[in-house]
Amino acid sequence: MLFNSYEFIFIFLPFTFFIYFYLNKKRLTEASKGFLVFASLFFYSWWNIAYLPLILVSMLFNYIIGNHLAKSDKHQKYYSSKSLLTVGIIFNLALLAYFKYSDFFISNVNVVLGSELPLLHLALPLAISFYTFQQIAYLVDSYRRETQEYDFLNYAVFVTFFPQLIAGPIVHHAEMMPQFAQAKNKVKNYRNIALGLFIFSIGLFKKVAIADSFAIWATQGFDVAQQLNMLEAWITSLSYTFQLYFDFSGYTDMAIGIALLFNIKLPINFNSPYKATSIQDFWRRWHITLSRFLKEYLYIPLGGNRKGNYRTYFNLFATFLLGGIWHGAGWTFVLWGALHGAALVIHRAWQRLGFRMNTLLAWFVTFNFINIAWVFFRAKEFDDAIKVLEGMFFGTLILPTPLSSKLTFLSSINVEFGKWSSLFGNEPEIILWLFAAFSVVLGLKNSMQARESFKPNLYYLSLTILFSLSIFILYRKSEFIYFNF
Amino acid sequence: MLLTYKNYVKTLFIILMTLLVIATAYAYYFAKNYPLPITNRMSFDAKITFIKENIDIAKIDTIIVGSSIGLNNVQGLTLEQSSKKIQGVLNLSVYEATPTQIEQVLELSSVFPNLKRIIYSAQYSDFAYAGKLKEYDPVFIKAYLGDSLSLKEKLAFYFNSCKNVFFLIRREWNWGAKYMQANQFTYLGFDASGSVPLRIYGKDIIKHRWENPHSNKQSKHAYSALDRMSKRAKKEGVDFIFVMQPYRQPLYENYKHVKLVMRDFSNKTEKIMKKNGGSFVNLHKKLNLSDKYFADRSHLNYEGAVIGSKAIGEFVDSIN
Repeated sequence: MLFNSYEFIFIFLPFTFFIYFYLNKKRLTEASKGFLVFASLFFYSWWNIAYLPLILVSMLFNYIIGNHLAKSDKHQKYYSSKSLLTVGIIFNLALLAYFKYSDFFISNVNVVLGSELPLLHLALPLAISFYTFQQIAYLVDSYRRETQEYDFLNYAVFVTFFPQLIAGPIVHHAEMMPQFAQAKNKVKNYRNIALGLFIFSIGLFKKVAIADSFAIWATQGFDVAQQLNMLEAWITSLSYTFQLYFDFSGYTDMAIGIALLFNIKLPINFNSPYKATSIQDFWRRWHITLSRFLKEYLYIPLGGNRKGNYRTYFNLFATFLLGGIWHGAGWTFVLWGALHGAALVIHRAWQRLGFRMNTLLAWFVTFNFINIAWVFFRAKEFDDAIKVLEGMFFGTLILPTPLSSKLTFLSSINVEFGKWSSLFGNEPEIILWLFAAFSVVLGLKNSMQARESFKPNLYYLSLTILFSLSIFILYRKSEFIYFNF
Repeated sequence: MLLTYKNYVKTLFIILMTLLVIATAYAYYFAKNYPLPITNRMSFDAKITFIKENIDIAKIDTIIVGSSIGLNNVQGLTLEQSSKKIQGVLNLSVYEATPTQIEQVLELSSVFPNLKRIIYSAQYSDFAYAGKLKEYDPVFIKAYLGDSLSLKEKLAFYFNSCKNVFFLIRREWNWGAKYMQANQFTYLGFDASGSVPLRIYGKDIIKHRWENPHSNKQSKHAYSALDRMSKRAKKEGVDFIFVMQPYRQPLYENYKHVKLVMRDFSNKTEKIMKKNGGSFVNLHKKLNLSDKYFADRSHLNYEGAVIGSKAIGEFVDSIN
């Protein structure tokens, strides 16, 4: 079920909300938690019920291992905590590897060895990348004795809570479990409802009105066009850059808003990432909960910055390379991760050498790097990425026909005169959209900052209504990009 | 004015529910009066609605396809009257359609049980690009035209078409001002065959469209699409006739690149037709029309389109 669907907005969400609080009102606390788990699993199974056993097995397995790790003294006679943790992590990664990377691995083996091993064509279980990470974190923390002994129902609510289940934010048990336990969170809170609806409406607007509009242009450029002129290629790449941000941050806003209806505060995932003035700054603002996970459970265990400069560079690069692979099974994702890893290494060396850069120039370099790197992230094949990049840097520049008489001499340097883009129908609309998107991401407060100043007055009421009008443009129903990862 | 949070939520709920009721009523009104969104192309949606409401698909033996060069330059009724072979014409052309998009449109040809010929009307500028129609589902459209949608599918269609209320408002807004003006290149006033006669004369002629020729850009993918379309027609036992439409003679004479690209276009398309058993006619060469029959560099006004359509009718009769 999609957050931006009628069945979710008008049926699933209201029913779940009212039944959950009704059960709590009747002091059926355990039943309300059980209902929330049931509703979340129903939400999850809506796409394909075949995925359900997998998440149940994963959840049960991790709960058992986690609980054993948390009280591991009693079992040291038979096996060490470390080996139990290793088994747990291997299980999670093997599950992820089997469903997500098998075909990628087989096709590469076929290329290298010239063999013809058949591909498995497994459907990627929804959210597997997210709940796997979440549960690995739980196992590691249990090993570190940083968890409490939770009962299975509490653990199940933590893993399956539907607002964050499909595409994050990647939540940490320590920030979720106490919230579900607090008595004050079991009664309807009108402040949270008002704020939740406000944030949800922002997310809906970002997704439906903005991201889905840019998606049309990005798809045209990446998947439909055979060749792109310079302007078309830049429009294509920028469209995807904005599509991805508004899509994913829109999804996150919706998740945060929905969770608030249930009095649960999810962590912030975006903080105006395109305002970043360095690649390090970008990763502190983009998909913050993933960065947090990679830092806590990969970069630091690898040694972080404690083992000298070269080892730090290696750790940074390896972390982002693996982060790239986490996003998808393909060489384009590997390259995207490698590019970001390399950029972080360069940035760190730059800082170490004491170099500085003008803020505006730093923003320009950072934004363009991110925009170019997204081309690999979006492209289905390397050829698509090359097509877009070739257009961006070596494509024909088409100027308006009236300039042809004065600028004929430019014809020798790949400049033509005529319609600037047949691909995008020569509509100036798209240029205005790009300007508007730049203005929004660079000039306005982000939704989390807006949340801080929320008040129950006519201004916020009007804004919520205005953003909620996105309900009437659900015509282009599309999935969220991060559902694929 | 600061509200209590409880009143704030209640007020918000009441306003949103009211808006929902108004939107539902408006969607009903729209569905009764304007073409419902089926694709992302207004002219195609209008054409599908037109066919659904006005055309007996069993009577159609000839379909015309193309961009505006098919929609405006070929008048279906004149074609019917001027040919002994042609009995029922439907103009399926779509504004700004590229050959690859025409290929998509022709996936609908199986809807017409008595189809004998396809006439593709084009000029070289149509072959500059090779985009695809978005949000296009030929299986659904065939079922819609053939009245074979189940009740559930029909309800889903009306719901999905009407739920984007802003889109409907924009479409209604544009309807009178943009699509119902015969002196504009967006005109959608179909005649009984689905053709659109342009009435663009004198001051309504757009200067830059009249004086400046198209660039010589050509897409190999457009020619590949023509190759596939004509092959498929042959396989299905349908005659495929490619009509190269007139271009303003002064532009042809004065711009070297126009002369070259038109020769190249004529040669390539004729070659494809010969290879795949189709027919080719060059109306530019055959008619040598004067400027009084043009609405711009490549679009014919109604009088020009009538002359062109008669010539096509005669050509169809001359084919064995």
